[in-house]
Amino acid sequence: MYRRSIVSKVTQKKPLSKLSPLRAKSSPTTENTNEQTAKFEQFSSAQKAYLDRVVRVDQAGELGADYIYRGQIYVLSHKHPHLRPILDHMWKQEVHHRSTFNNLQLKHRTRPSLITPLWKLGATAMGVVPAMLSPEAAMACTEAVETVIGNHYNEQLRCLANQFNMEKTDGTKDEPEEIKKLTDTIKEFRDQELEHLDTAIKNDSHMAVPYKLLTEGIKSICKVAIWTAERV
Amino acid sequence: MSRLIAQKLFTKQSMAPSLLCIRSYHPIAKDFVKPITIEPLTYTTDSLQSKVLDHCLSNNVPKYGFKEKSIVESIKQLELSPSLVSVLGASNSPSFVHSSPAVLELIKYHLVTKRYELTKDIPQENIDHNNGLPSLEELLVKRLQMDIPIGSQLTDLFAQLSMPSQFLMETALPELLNLADDMIYFSNEKDHFDMAWYTKRLGVAFTYVASKLFMAQDISPNFVETMNFAHEKLNNVMKLGDYYNNTEEFAWYTLMVSVNLIKSQLSRN
Repeated sequence: MYRRSIVSKVTQKKPLSKLSPLRAKSSPTTENTNEQTAKFEQFSSAQKAYLDRVVRVDQAGELGADYIYRGQIYVLSHKHPHLRPILDHMWKQEVHHRSTFNNLQLKHRTRPSLITPLWKLGATAMGVVPAMLSPEAAMACTEAVETVIGNHYNEQLRCLANQFNMEKTDGTKDEPEEIKKLTDTIKEFRDQELEHLDTAIKNDSHMAVPYKLLTEGIKSICKVAIWTAERV
Repeated sequence: MSRLIAQKLFTKQSMAPSLLCIRSYHPIAKDFVKPITIEPLTYTTDSLQSKVLDHCLSNNVPKYGFKEKSIVESIKQLELSPSLVSVLGASNSPSFVHSSPAVLELIKYHLVTKRYELTKDIPQENIDHNNGLPSLEELLVKRLQMDIPIGSQLTDLFAQLSMPSQFLMETALPELLNLADDMIYFSNEKDHFDMAWYTKRLGVAFTYVASKLFMAQDISPNFVETMNFAHEKLNNVMKLGDYYNNTEEFAWYTLMVSVNLIKSQLSRN
């Protein structure tokens, strides 16, 4: 992260050639001025494959989160109305995350996960079943899921920061605009997911009865799901 | 830990893209240098290979079909060295049961360049699916019309494309899916982010192949019958999608109604 910010500052300060403003003035459209700025070399196939995975797995993950909260709200909102605003708030954020990644998927033309129906079914079950045990168990489930997702996002951020410092035609190195945007999106979402984690702990997730069993079981299920969604 | 993962990811040469995601992630084109090749092809559009294959497709394939003879004729007419035949096929592995590597390259070149031509005139940036794009049917008909000059060779082409081989898995099928993907992305068709993404692409690919098969046996002037057939087939496939969506919506509605009914009956007591 640190390295990236330094690099981007340097390139922003670097002045363009003296002639370029003249050329920009004489050209009729703004598009031509864009063409004169340096462009990036093409992504390698490994980089493309990685971004493809990132979009797919995050889309599937946010879809899962959306359905988990839906399931929890469906079960808990009548018996425990005091939880309703908390769950609603978290759910709305997840819906926003999901639609963001849906748009990214369409924009960059990656494919969605092939077993999307299975993710929907599994996530609903993961929301409904612990919520039926107790509201604390539901919160423990949230805690486990958000822990795994937070780690997963951090790993992606590290990789994006390390591997996407691309060569430009004028010899400098920088990250392409879309990578910066993706990094910012993932950072924002990671922070919100960790907020959900705090919310869950504040709402007595540690009081859930088979606490260890629940959290560890759900964590491993999430890890397997992430592994699969990256590939299929 | 993350560095280990990253290293594993980026040093591994064998991260070959799978069949379904040959052209997986599309970066925003305006920030990047324009690629000099059209993706599955390994040579540029102004290279010797392209020149020969292009000449062959427009002049000799309509006459001799997708055979080595038309490539040889092209090389003769362009006054190049005859050894070029083996250069052309360099990126395909030879096979006992299939045609020569050069012919396979000719077929690949045909599929890739025609797909590229189909969407060449559409601005590649800022795609707005609500206006300014052709309809799916227009693109489908346009692609079919591109093959009118080689109409009499289509049976042969189909035989080569559908023969179970490495070529089928590595070129013929991915190109078909890429074509369907391009047709949907560059048309005003609604795109999806769930299973409908797959079913729509399969539906379009199926329509295209069916229309092409029809075209191979069509004897009507200028393949009018084929265009009608494609129109009808596409309508049917899209209708099938509508049927599915309506059924799903109705089933979900029924489920919710019955759950709520049961709930209300229980709470009454």
